Amino acid sequence: MSVDKLVGGLLPYLTCIVFILGIAYRVSRWNRASVTRMPLFPIPSGRAQKWSQIAKEVLIFKGPLDGDKSLWIGTWIFHATLALVLVGHLGIVTDFPRLWNALAHKKGEIDAVAAIASGCAGVILMATGLYLLFRRLAVLRVREISSFEDYASIALVLAVVLTGDIMRFGSQFDLNPVREYFKALFYLRSAPVPSDPWFLLHFFLAQLLIMYIPFSKFLHIPGIFYSKSLLWQK
Amino acid sequence: MNGQEYPIDQAEMNKVVEAVRAIKDGPRVLQLYMDICAKCGTCAKQCHVSCSEPLRRNNPASRSDHIRGLYKMNHSVLQKLAALLCGSIGASLKKETLDEWFRDFYECSGCRRCAKFCPFGIDNSVITRKGRTILHSLGLTPAKIRATQKTSDQFGNNEGIPLQVFMDNMCFLEDELLEEHGVRIRIPVDERADVLFATASAEILAHAETLMGCATFFHVAGISWTMSSEAFDAANFGFFSGDDAHMKRKNKLLHDACMKLKVKKLVIGECGHAYRVAKHIGGTNYWGKEIPYEITSILILAAEVLRKGGLKLDPSRNPMPVTYHDPCNFARSAGIIEEPREILRACVEDFREMTPNRDLNWCCGGGGGLGPLDSCEGVREGESSFYEYRMQVTGKKKLEQIISTGARYVAAPCGNCKRQITQLVNYHKHDVEVGGLFDLFDKAIIL
Repeated sequence: MSVDKLVGGLLPYLTCIVFILGIAYRVSRWNRASVTRMPLFPIPSGRAQKWSQIAKEVLIFKGPLDGDKSLWIGTWIFHATLALVLVGHLGIVTDFPRLWNALAHKKGEIDAVAAIASGCAGVILMATGLYLLFRRLAVLRVREISSFEDYASIALVLAVVLTGDIMRFGSQFDLNPVREYFKALFYLRSAPVPSDPWFLLHFFLAQLLIMYIPFSKFLHIPGIFYSKSLLWQK
Repeated sequence: MNGQEYPIDQAEMNKVVEAVRAIKDGPRVLQLYMDICAKCGTCAKQCHVSCSEPLRRNNPASRSDHIRGLYKMNHSVLQKLAALLCGSIGASLKKETLDEWFRDFYECSGCRRCAKFCPFGIDNSVITRKGRTILHSLGLTPAKIRATQKTSDQFGNNEGIPLQVFMDNMCFLEDELLEEHGVRIRIPVDERADVLFATASAEILAHAETLMGCATFFHVAGISWTMSSEAFDAANFGFFSGDDAHMKRKNKLLHDACMKLKVKKLVIGECGHAYRVAKHIGGTNYWGKEIPYEITSILILAAEVLRKGGLKLDPSRNPMPVTYHDPCNFARSAGIIEEPREILRACVEDFREMTPNRDLNWCCGGGGGLGPLDSCEGVREGESSFYEYRMQVTGKKKLEQIISTGARYVAAPCGNCKRQITQLVNYHKHDVEVGGLFDLFDKAIIL
């Protein structure tokens, strides 16, 4: 089988299965386990306050903001930009002609804004990602707790960002075959896989990352809700 | 201590690995902490030990990696592969490793400040205690803590105070109170009352002024109270050693006394971990949600009474500048934060806050059972005793805080904090008195 058929025809199904089953397995293990009473005070009173505390952590990374600003500046900008990039990727897998019409913008304008935004985001992700890697190597209290896993995780993420940037800043890249491909994939139909080598590499690495999530510290994505709420059980 | 002094056979090493591997099935807190730590290093930045002596072994995430590394090595294929490729922390379990566990898990004071700043709220004290529980099952608990537990099981209190000595002691304190106040203030024992009062037996011996102050408080507040000759010691070293069985056994003494004397409230005195074990770890967790008595702290009770009014206090009787040390077990682990301040403001003229304070206060350095430890157990060539470690490393932040307030009296409602801070100021030659809140109350009250 050719590379593009492997990465684009077979792997996505494996990726989905591994990711979904993996997360389900890890989260179900948490759900089934016994809960210890370990309140940390002051406890936010009532649902609204609890959600507000979670929001503070998830949206502005309150812990590092108060506890380690050299970390916060890197990780917050990285994650915030990543969130925008993930939203932006929706525009790569499909298009929203009705939305643009509703907002009364011309297609050309949208494309221009997207091009600038995605370019900036790509650069910022790379820069903050490298900053975090540099921090891990340069700051002793971080270096001494870092293992192969920690370096491999950031390397994988940076590789995904790098290949994405190469696509973005490289020669003209036509998104239409990509959108066609993903639309077909979503409906579990087959479509020609875009053959651009940087796309294939980016897509491959991204899938590797997605499959890795349930077996890595990226489990903090669902995990943070569990770990924070453990501190609030009275 | 090294592998030769405490022979550990292969069967016991396997037990350790099994205990860690079993985390896979729970409890949830440990599963999460194994899975999601992102190694960001924020905990180390906010740990009093790590700040004072930035060695790797003082890094909370590194300490937790003793267990986390072993867990990962015994679970996922990916991590085994990774560990094989580059070697992860705590990968293999050698006898020398347990030496490190012993030293490291008894150098964390369980203050939970790391949990306050960790983006995921990872509480390294939970992992510390898990480590200690495993060590305890191998007999690897510091001698002082082991001995105290043994004494407690034998005598019903940590100090080994026999019944008659306790009764004599209470009589003596009643005489002292009469002399001090010119009024007969009783310390009831084994009587039917609304309140059963219990505190750390070490406190009763080392800081009797605090108990006297508590007795005075109950007297002026008109609260019907009693102590129990079978359960006057609320301190619980099973909490420090990770020995859950001892923790429950000791807590049962309090529970049985409450049931026997049919009290409405169990009131814990100036002892941080005693309150935490009675209220949040034991209590309803052990004896059912429907226990017929409420569990509270004398700090909460006194603040309530002060708010109602009617007590006459003269703060000018405590003219020296006073600062308040938030014990970790009262502030972060129990939420008793404003009440001590209300009491102090009513009793002293010049109250000064430390910075930081409340739930972000620095640990005194004597938490988690460290306060009573002085020995050289678990140390290597060229390293010093637990005592030196407390004086020079774990207590450093606290000393700086105290000095910058300019206070001459540190009020700390916790026996281990009192011991640690007293030793700290004496060691570093600072003229600062350390005592309880109720000592000050006793001086300020007008009868």
